[in-house]
Amino acid sequence: MIEVDGLTRLYRRGTLETQVLKGVSFRVRRGEFVVIMGRSGSGKSTLLNILGLLDRPDGGRYLLDGADLSGADDDARSAARNRKLGFVFQQFHLLERASALRNVTLPLLYAEQDSGDSTERAERALQAVGLTHRPRHLPSELSGGEQQRVAIARALINDPAVILADEPTGNLDAQNGREILEIFRHLVDGGRTLVLVTHDRAVAERGDRVLVLDDGRIVGEEAVPTPAAGTRSDAAGAV
Amino acid sequence: MSAGRRRRHRQLARGLVLSLQLLAAHRLRTALSVSGLLVGVAAVIVMVAIGEGAERRVLERVQGMGTNLLVVSAAPAQRVVGRPRQVPVHTMLRAADAEAIERESTLAVAAAPAVNRSMVVRWEGVNTTTMVTGTTTRGLGIRNISAASGRVFDDEDDHERRRVALLGPTVVRSLFAAANPVGRVVRVGNVPFDVVGVTRARGVDAVGVDLDDIMLVPFETATRRLLNIPYVHTLFIQARSTADLVALEHEVREILHGRYGGRSGMLAPFVIQNQATLLRTERGAAQAMNQLVVGVALLALLAGGIGILAVMLISVRERTREIGLRRALGAKRRDIQIQFVLESAMLAAGGGLAGVIAGLAAAGGAALLGPWDLVMSWRAAALGLACSTILGLVIGALPAARAARLEPIAALRAE
Repeated sequence: MIEVDGLTRLYRRGTLETQVLKGVSFRVRRGEFVVIMGRSGSGKSTLLNILGLLDRPDGGRYLLDGADLSGADDDARSAARNRKLGFVFQQFHLLERASALRNVTLPLLYAEQDSGDSTERAERALQAVGLTHRPRHLPSELSGGEQQRVAIARALINDPAVILADEPTGNLDAQNGREILEIFRHLVDGGRTLVLVTHDRAVAERGDRVLVLDDGRIVGEEAVPTPAAGTRSDAAGAV
Repeated sequence: MSAGRRRRHRQLARGLVLSLQLLAAHRLRTALSVSGLLVGVAAVIVMVAIGEGAERRVLERVQGMGTNLLVVSAAPAQRVVGRPRQVPVHTMLRAADAEAIERESTLAVAAAPAVNRSMVVRWEGVNTTTMVTGTTTRGLGIRNISAASGRVFDDEDDHERRRVALLGPTVVRSLFAAANPVGRVVRVGNVPFDVVGVTRARGVDAVGVDLDDIMLVPFETATRRLLNIPYVHTLFIQARSTADLVALEHEVREILHGRYGGRSGMLAPFVIQNQATLLRTERGAAQAMNQLVVGVALLALLAGGIGILAVMLISVRERTREIGLRRALGAKRRDIQIQFVLESAMLAAGGGLAGVIAGLAAAGGAALLGPWDLVMSWRAAALGLACSTILGLVIGALPAARAARLEPIAALRAE
């Protein structure tokens, strides 16, 4: 689903140059839950921006769902973000003045194929994240966990190839964080592909595979042993 | 293709609804941003209402005299290097000229002679000075004179040189106060006249002459019994339509020159007053007013536009994260651009609409309460709304370009 080969990214600020990514290579298969873990400054956000087509690498190759979009123009990349990617952010990034339902349908405004009944689709997406009882509420009337569920529903609505999550539990308490990770696990079990970026080892352990990023390089890759369901919730309890 | 267009339209409509919700959430700011435009458009609507009211008044006055009327007058004595001419030239127009014009002209519907002299009219010790006009029943018709009470004089009165009079309301007020004048006898000099009727009020003409300060008597009575003159002062000629007036003026000139052209020393012995020319002059004044209104309207739009521009620029800055989010979710630069241009247009259209409503309400209220003659102009209302919307589209270009230029990552991280 994702193929990354020797990605490099250089930031220039005045005369100061910082090599943020120094040749990153990895693969994510369909239906896999991959966690990219690293300290702050390790380059994980930059990597996620590149994976999310929000930033371009200076070198290397990135194939998303078989397509190389590093040379594509802004419109093509926007269209690919809409069609192939779903974003989940640490700060949720919901429109404060719009209802949960309307937030979920936001990507459909920019879809290039007919979306059918958008409300129905949004309701189905909200159902998939277990949030059916408050679709007309404003984000401010929802708890943090509920807001993040709305954001996940929004990421799901265009049926993306890959969901990219950036510290999705960073702004949540332990209980809500656990629930969000459960939802992710549920989605992956249902066949979704998920790339999650975090600095938190406890969160990382919920993935199928962890890539450890340090100083712009992948310094370690560990497969998380597939535990029994019970152990998994124990692990989540440590979040 | 058409399915794709339908989808685009539906997406655009949904986007607009969302934009409206976001704008509605900032009620105060939205209201403030459009207030300038509102006041400006309202002011323009009121000014146009006043202007059109004035124009209608002018038109009504001129029409009261007849817009398809030519007035031929004897020329005033001409001066040669400051010395008044000794020969009065106004002796030459005759009643027969009216008949000749009616006979020979192809464009004239009717022609009538008239004599005028300012004279003192008396009734039971009260007297007033008024314009005594002698004309034929034709002349009454051409000048739109009819009786509000009693009757107008007829051809037989004229033919028999009866001493009958038709009084204008102003004269009636001066002489009789509240009493009914019909059937009474008024005197002009020593000549008694039976009052047979009172004319319908006609108001003031374009140059401020009171058209109701008049006493009308039959033409023959006036020339033979009152003034004892063989000539007439004016000829009234009615054209088929206002459009024929210029051609008719030319024709009348030809006919009169044919009748008097042989005489020596008679340079332009008559003056032809064209109602169409008068109307044009009045319209010119109205146009000057209109230009003023256009100027004010442009200033109002400019001021209103700046208000909206400022708010839109603030809005783009404040909604940077929203823009970043939309970009991350797949909005193209063009989508963002369209969104902000349309938001600006909606703001401006809303302000314009509110201004139109306020302006029409103010003009309507003023027309009901006061003595002002205001005309509601639906054209001005539609134009105000259209100009506001177009202004919004134009004004929106700058904030929209700024919004579209934002880089999604930076915009997402903005606080």
